Amino acid sequence: MEVKTVKDAFDRVAKKQKLSCSKTQETVDRLSREIEKALNAIQEPTTDTDNPLLHKSLVSDLKKTVQEIAPSNQLEAAHKELNVALSKYPKVLEKTLNSDISKAYRNVEFDLHTVHQIIASFFYGQGLFDIGDCFISETGEPESSARESFMEMYLILKALKRRDLGPALNWAASNSDKLEQANSDLEMKLHSLHFLKIAQDKKSLDAVNYARKHIPIYSDRGLQKLMCSLLWNGNLDKSPYAGFLSPTLWTKAVKELTRQYCNLLGESPESPLSVTVAAGSQALPPLLKYMNLMVNKKQEWQTMEQLPIPVELSEEFQFHSVFVCPVTKEQSREDNPPMRLCCGHVLCKQSINRMSKNGSKSFKCPYCPSDIDASQCRQLYF
Amino acid sequence: MEIDPVTNGNADAIMTESAPTITPPTTTPVPSSRLSQLTESLKLEHQLLRVPFEHYKKTIRTNHRFFEKEVSSVVSGVGDLADSDWSRDDTVARLSSLVSRLQGLKRKLEEGSNVENLQAQRCRARIDHLESADVENLTEWNNTKLKRILDLVDIDIFREAKKVIDALKNREVASALTWCADNKTRLKKSKSKFEFQLRLQEFIELVRAESYNQAILYGRKHVAPWGATHMKELQHVVATLAFKSTTECTKYKGLFELRQWDVLVHQFKQEFCKLYGMTMEPLLNIYLQAGLSALKTPYGFEEGCTKEDPLSQESFRKLALPLPYSKQHHSKLVCYISKELMDTENPPQVLPNGYVYSTKALKEMAEKNEGKVTCPRTGLVCNYTDLVKAYIS
Repeated sequence: MEVKTVKDAFDRVAKKQKLSCSKTQETVDRLSREIEKALNAIQEPTTDTDNPLLHKSLVSDLKKTVQEIAPSNQLEAAHKELNVALSKYPKVLEKTLNSDISKAYRNVEFDLHTVHQIIASFFYGQGLFDIGDCFISETGEPESSARESFMEMYLILKALKRRDLGPALNWAASNSDKLEQANSDLEMKLHSLHFLKIAQDKKSLDAVNYARKHIPIYSDRGLQKLMCSLLWNGNLDKSPYAGFLSPTLWTKAVKELTRQYCNLLGESPESPLSVTVAAGSQALPPLLKYMNLMVNKKQEWQTMEQLPIPVELSEEFQFHSVFVCPVTKEQSREDNPPMRLCCGHVLCKQSINRMSKNGSKSFKCPYCPSDIDASQCRQLYF
Repeated sequence: MEIDPVTNGNADAIMTESAPTITPPTTTPVPSSRLSQLTESLKLEHQLLRVPFEHYKKTIRTNHRFFEKEVSSVVSGVGDLADSDWSRDDTVARLSSLVSRLQGLKRKLEEGSNVENLQAQRCRARIDHLESADVENLTEWNNTKLKRILDLVDIDIFREAKKVIDALKNREVASALTWCADNKTRLKKSKSKFEFQLRLQEFIELVRAESYNQAILYGRKHVAPWGATHMKELQHVVATLAFKSTTECTKYKGLFELRQWDVLVHQFKQEFCKLYGMTMEPLLNIYLQAGLSALKTPYGFEEGCTKEDPLSQESFRKLALPLPYSKQHHSKLVCYISKELMDTENPPQVLPNGYVYSTKALKEMAEKNEGKVTCPRTGLVCNYTDLVKAYIS
């Protein structure tokens, strides 16, 4: 990893800076020592009255010593080395890192108001209400509706992080139907945590009662485990159920609650701003590489309808099915949909039309030896 | 997986590894493409390292220059003393003052080196921050990154800039000129003519005020030295002496326009960013643009687009409007039901009505419903055995 090169270069700078600093310090120290020495010698009560010009000779001695110390080559050398390191480091940075990431930038002015709204929602979505409020008031934007909706969630989450299940259970109970619709086991998770909490306070009986009242409706498998764990209550950590003590159960509950809450709100649990910026940091390197190679494409860059190169984002940014016809390399569209040949291979309608001369003859699948009859091809919906 | 030291940190920790309800952490091997992607992303962080370094460098230089001057003046002080005829008492007094001057210098030196060390620490912390990014904690790391793009991390540097910009907006060049003097060598190296432009503007202001004599004096002192390199512009501006600020002569009218001050502000921003190795455009916008383009698909603008896609949001659509669409060379199929990628591990299967879902999702559905699957988009019910495969290359 190149970070090491950068680190080494910086270490050199820091080392030289320290060295140069201590050399300067040394010089200053020596200067004051010499001057003080001379001063003491001059001030010494002397009986030697026949030399009234003693101080003169001492001062001229001092001048000699001082001139020897001051432009000391060592100091100069140390500083020179520091300068070398100082001018080298930015070069290392420029070489290992992309020094100008604005090369693949289209000169469009973003609507400031929209950007502000996005940033404010981001802060609220992260539970950073103070920063969000401060941001809103400084930019003079109208209050964001995102604030209210996220506030409740963060109160629930805050309680949950304190291991207070009350607000979470209340919310889950009042949205029970919707949670079930979304196939979420959040309620079960929360009840289990509550059960374990009661049990941990060494009240096995209370825990059983709680389970009776709240848990059976959901799952028997989970219930079996919970009840069984009571057998080891008190020294659960040495039991097969030690996992029940793990804090990850709590973090999982927090995650699931966030997911479900956002889901019901109609928001994405991942902040759209962080998703976009994360996608941006994946997309920028190939785009910059392209712009570095295609210096004369600067003008085109400002107007092109589609990126000039494919940018491969990782899986988590894949939100839609994209079908690219393996023959024409074009993306499918409504008027050129993907079609499945009877052998199972998939091409775009245009390709099939071309190869079958508009359905007038059968053709060979480009991927296997099958003979294809165009009328047998079926459109696919991804 | 994080292990809480309180509950699991004892000798029995081994046992907890096989806890029944907790799935062990799945350590899938990290694909090399992800690693190289990360490496490439880290290369975008030039500015993160460069800005504090330039700051650090500036401190070192300023400190050094100061000490050099002080030391040499002490040395010449001793020299003067030796060369002139002072009485013993005077000599003592002079030497004592030199000693106390050196003491003060020493204190300053310590302060200075503390500042330097602090700045060095900051540079190092940033390097460590880059080093700390790896594939495992990428989400978290990306989050920190976003926050630092949003907050002005190098705020003191921006304060410096803001002072100059505010002054320029008030039509004062003094602080901009000080800034130029502070960074003289760097600006000279990059052949900047920002100072020249500031001088020209001052000249024009004098002409505007009809203080022609002063203008000429000013021009002689500050503008003429630039003649060697920028004669043409110089002539153009000095010629304004012949005009009034209300001139209609198109060639000179522009020079008197107050808009020129905004041009100066813009130029200052450019010089400033260049000096610190920063991009002119806000980092957030750069990342947003690249991200929006890479995510922009026709599907994102459709009704009922999945809300995980940032482009399902009105505000993001608005920003993405003037940007290019992404380009794809390979098919990528996402299962409508599970949102998982359909690949060789989880191949697509086709229902009799042509709708395609992932094998995993369909299998799961069939297991729950006695071998039957229901198309979530059309309501069609069929047997799992009626499904056919589709090969997507």
